[in-house]
Amino acid sequence: MGIPSAQFRETIRAALGRQSGPPAEPYDVLAEEFPALEARAEAVRERAARETPELLDRMAETAALRGWNVQRCDGAEEALDYVTSLARSLGATSVARSEQEVFETVPVDAAVAGAGGLCWPAVYDGPSSRTEVRQRLAESDMGITGADYAIAETGSVVVLPRRGLSRLVSVVPPVHLAIVRPSDLLGTLDDLFALRRLEHVRNGGDMGSYLNFITGPSRTADIEQTIVVGVHGPREVHMVLLDKE
Amino acid sequence: MAEVVTRDFVSATQAAVKDTQLRQALRRAGTGFDGTRREAIHEVTPEVWEEWREQARRIKEHTIGHLDYYLEMLERNVTAAGGRVHFAADAGQANAIVAQIARDNGVRTVTKSKSMVSEELGLNHVLEAQGIDVFETDLGEYIIQLANETPSHLVAPALHKTRRQVAQLFADQLGVPYSEDIEEMARIARVVLRQKFLDADMGISGANFLVAETGSLVIITNEGNGRLCTSAPRVHVGLAGMEKVIPSLQDLAVFLRLLPRSATGQRITSYMSMVTGPRRPDDEDGPEEFHLVIVDNGRSRLLADPALRESLYCIRCGACLNVCPVYQRVGGHAYGWVYPGPIGSIVTPGLVGLGQAKDLPNASTLCGACRDACPVQINIPRMLLHLRHVAAEGQGSYQGTGSDTESLFARGFAAVMSSPRLLNLGRKMGRWLLAPLANRGVLGQTRLPVVSRWTRARDLPIPPPRSFAEIWRDELSNSGSDSKRA
Amino acid sequence: MSQPRTIRASLFTTCIVDQLYPEVGVSVVRVLRRAGVEVDYPEGQTCCGQPLYNSGFTGEARKLAERTLNLLDDRAFVVVPSGSCGAMMRVFYLDLFADDPELQARARDLSQRVYEFTEFLVDVVGYEPATGDQPERGCRVAYHPSCHLLREMEVTGAPQRLLDAAPGIERVDLPDAEQCCGFGGTFAIKYPHISEEMLADKVAAATGSGADTLTACDMGCLMHIGGAVSRQKLPLRVRHIAQLLDGESG
Repeated sequence: MGIPSAQFRETIRAALGRQSGPPAEPYDVLAEEFPALEARAEAVRERAARETPELLDRMAETAALRGWNVQRCDGAEEALDYVTSLARSLGATSVARSEQEVFETVPVDAAVAGAGGLCWPAVYDGPSSRTEVRQRLAESDMGITGADYAIAETGSVVVLPRRGLSRLVSVVPPVHLAIVRPSDLLGTLDDLFALRRLEHVRNGGDMGSYLNFITGPSRTADIEQTIVVGVHGPREVHMVLLDKE
Repeated sequence: MAEVVTRDFVSATQAAVKDTQLRQALRRAGTGFDGTRREAIHEVTPEVWEEWREQARRIKEHTIGHLDYYLEMLERNVTAAGGRVHFAADAGQANAIVAQIARDNGVRTVTKSKSMVSEELGLNHVLEAQGIDVFETDLGEYIIQLANETPSHLVAPALHKTRRQVAQLFADQLGVPYSEDIEEMARIARVVLRQKFLDADMGISGANFLVAETGSLVIITNEGNGRLCTSAPRVHVGLAGMEKVIPSLQDLAVFLRLLPRSATGQRITSYMSMVTGPRRPDDEDGPEEFHLVIVDNGRSRLLADPALRESLYCIRCGACLNVCPVYQRVGGHAYGWVYPGPIGSIVTPGLVGLGQAKDLPNASTLCGACRDACPVQINIPRMLLHLRHVAAEGQGSYQGTGSDTESLFARGFAAVMSSPRLLNLGRKMGRWLLAPLANRGVLGQTRLPVVSRWTRARDLPIPPPRSFAEIWRDELSNSGSDSKRA
Repeated sequence: MSQPRTIRASLFTTCIVDQLYPEVGVSVVRVLRRAGVEVDYPEGQTCCGQPLYNSGFTGEARKLAERTLNLLDDRAFVVVPSGSCGAMMRVFYLDLFADDPELQARARDLSQRVYEFTEFLVDVVGYEPATGDQPERGCRVAYHPSCHLLREMEVTGAPQRLLDAAPGIERVDLPDAEQCCGFGGTFAIKYPHISEEMLADKVAAATGSGADTLTACDMGCLMHIGGAVSRQKLPLRVRHIAQLLDGESG
């Protein structure tokens, strides 16, 4: 049907007038050895930890500009109050959430229950439940996730779908709430990619199947350049920014 | 492949410039996108912007210069992540590959997120002919699919449609009550497509970038449709032109900074999704199969020509369209194929043949606004000049057929300009011929061939009795400097 | 006053000025001389080759370019009252002779000596128009930055500086100034329907700016814009910047 990759590459080499083999000058980034990458990633972590207060401020500011409703919270209690009042104002009856570590310190189930809603973990118990979970997701009023990273430069939340964390929780319900801990914060896109690369190398070439980089609500301007929020993803996004763990 | 009607450029543009609705839409988009783009550049400072552009260009230059090497790395890593890579030399092969994947998986419904390559391939028709329901899910693409049209802009495919036209289209095609409310129209699309997302067997996406070292496909969207297409169905097929690869994940950062700002002026889009293989066994969801189709379809011809190679650095942001004074007057459809505007005027002749698209390289004043706006510093005017050269003098791999009249005229012009004596004679003859036709010292409307194409809207000066060279000789050469006054 | 030094410049008038607008060339000479520049005029000059190069006739363009190189080889400074022809000589000759090291070396040498008229006045001569230099007159001038001057020669401020310093000239903003006027050489006759749309916008911007005079550094663009102004009998003077600096009141 197609052509073998070797043949495809041969056409390219002919077009370039190039012999096979790696670039004569090694590409700096790819030439980086594991210890150097590890040291760089460690430096990224250390800097982020050192600069947490600044990163929190920057995150709050940038995320708000990018369309998040940012709520800075001093601790879990304040965060839960916010969840309750949000669930109440939405009149939420069904709230989906992921299964992530953050919910051990910020137990949102009770907070949603406090507003009269039901918070349930969107996890599959085998293939048969897939349709059912999806249908429930489609009918839920809000999805809650943690953040694997949060990037101050862009005001973004990064989630890495995996066991316990469906790809759909943060995109199918009309409202998404992300809980960001100080330890999730990174300064820049470069920081994020340094850490992901390290993960890739550490895990023998696997860093998971998916990465979601989320910045504000779903939006479109495809009709007369008029911005409408909430096309296929959430129309409303909330970020609970914890000032301490 | 998508229908090529590039030969109709002149008649298409003649109609387009008279279309006031189109003009209004183009102006809205052009000034809107470009205004925010400029603000975004100002915000990071022009100096930083230049550093980003240079960095991005270096990455592209390096990768395209070693494309075979990075494609091999990409293939290795996609495969290691559990995906499959297919290579298509042309549109026919690419479509056959996707059709086969669909057959193998018993696919009945496909949801698609925006992919210019798929437009280039004309993939939807091939799948539909196989009895598959194909749904475009980007709102703009959905609109033009319902209207049975093609995109008119790289990032805003339905830019040419007014809200009234979309309202009518939705009423006619979807049987919903007519509403010109844009929020309502977006809501309708959401409702209609929501079920398709959940029902679809296969999702098809394009790729903004392919990361060689990790085998990842990166898409950048605002609506969330890309996330759903790549997450919900059993099978995900990614389509990408072969030039989309970048070496490292680290290289992605600068492109994420440049692309949204250049495209719509957004500092970042709502979503960036990175797909690396199919779902892992432990994952809650995600497709069971991931296929990546890498497409040549004429790109290796652009690659082979050093003068045109940099057209493959393009990241399809559309900034060159938004600043192009020609695109802004004629819109995307007039360009006659999938890729419009300045970059389309290079890519289209490259992919469909210059003989088919001879007008495109000429349809520019070479004003250079496109090059200034390009986030990877692609020198579009220089490539347009190169294509004009190939068409006029018939060399190189894109040999077109130059016009004999023009070639004769060029030789005549060169001969006259090679001799000051002939040039002066020419002026005097021109004066002698035109002066009797002059009115108030200028030539107005006339039926003279070629000249009439100028004089239909502009007066033409009558050559004066003396040239500057003669005035210099007679009056200026000996008058020396009168600088002493200062 | 600075050290008296004589700057010598060779004028390349461009064929359009030589053949159609000699009065612009005269103003260029007068302003340069007033600025203390010793002007000479290499005899036998015609066209730099740009129209042919822009139409793809590279072979024919090379003949004219080589001819121009021969004329200008040993000149200290070459001054061109055009961003378009200036760009040809500074930027595109290098491409044109890419496959001929000897000619390309000469082109590179020329590229370092060639200046657009206003660029030369500001960057090389340091000229400031002063009261007394020119007749006082009141006019409101809109400046159109021609594309090749702006984006190929990258002359972004010199014309405005000279206009701002010139007595009696009030510069007004031209809306969307950096938009092309639609001339583009053969573009204007190959696609007149598109060119005319661009032209109409430029003319509307100029007339709406409140200016009584439109100026630029290129007679190609000005022939185009002026042709429409003349056709529509609009109350707008269209002048090369040298004419304004020369105090020509037309």
